[in-house]
Amino acid sequence: MSSRRSRQSGISDDQIANLVTKLQHLIPELRRRRSGKVSASTVLQETCNYIRNLHREVDDLSDRLSELLASTDDNSAEAAIIRSLLN
Amino acid sequence: MVDSLFPTIDTTDDVASPESRRKRRRISETSKEAAESSSEAQRINEESSKRWRTNRVQQIYASKLIEALRRVRQRSNDAGKITSVAREIRDTADRVLAASARGTSRWSRSILAARVRACLKKHKKAKSKGTRKPRKDTAAERRRVEKLPAVERKLKILGRLVPGCRKVDVPNLLDEASDYIAALEMQVRAMESLAELLAAAAPPSTTLTRP
Repeated sequence: MSSRRSRQSGISDDQIANLVTKLQHLIPELRRRRSGKVSASTVLQETCNYIRNLHREVDDLSDRLSELLASTDDNSAEAAIIRSLLN
Repeated sequence: MVDSLFPTIDTTDDVASPESRRKRRRISETSKEAAESSSEAQRINEESSKRWRTNRVQQIYASKLIEALRRVRQRSNDAGKITSVAREIRDTADRVLAASARGTSRWSRSILAARVRACLKKHKKAKSKGTRKPRKDTAAERRRVEKLPAVERKLKILGRLVPGCRKVDVPNLLDEASDYIAALEMQVRAMESLAELLAAAAPPSTTLTRP
């Protein structure tokens, strides 16, 4: 039954296995489980969730930075300090 | 002194030991072919994650981001536009991240290309969103997509999440996704450390809501 489905979908089992091994290493959630037997569907779901989480974190950080930059924009001395710290 | 501001991320240890353990288990369990392909995949993963995990990369990104943010603020102040600052920052951060990839990945090229298209549209004063191809999202198409097996559906979702990868085939989508994830993680770390820097440098009178 599963072989028939994979032939219809056009994605080989090889690719799916490759997918699982590759993504499993990347996603911290899956690294923690390490049960050794995660389905491709789970791996993909966790990957999508992880990317969405990362996007959300970047948005939150942008909000934080916007508040912080507003306060330091006026003070050019601090800006110089920050730049020198980063270089 | 700068090094202390960016905590060393000792990921090489994290990545090496569980992977070498898994590698040994894999080679004993499966056939040689499968072992070769999985170690190959791990090697590619390590390469792309090493690209984005060095401290140097993070520092370079952080300084470029600050420069770009100042330029953008200057420009928007002069133009007198009232755009959401957070949105500006997000867009700038993505642009600098894409630029750091130096055109080697599809998602980075897509981010930069999308910005060019948006700029051209604004200059042309196009009244309609005609440049964007209308999605042939008929009901029949939607039914077909819903009937696909779960894996295929999720692959499509993944393709939508990674910029510019809607019609990419599975192995390339995997490479793009792994590179994109590593880059996003670096972006988060860099912005996080920048925020801490600014919070420490800001005068204590500003009320900051720390989560």
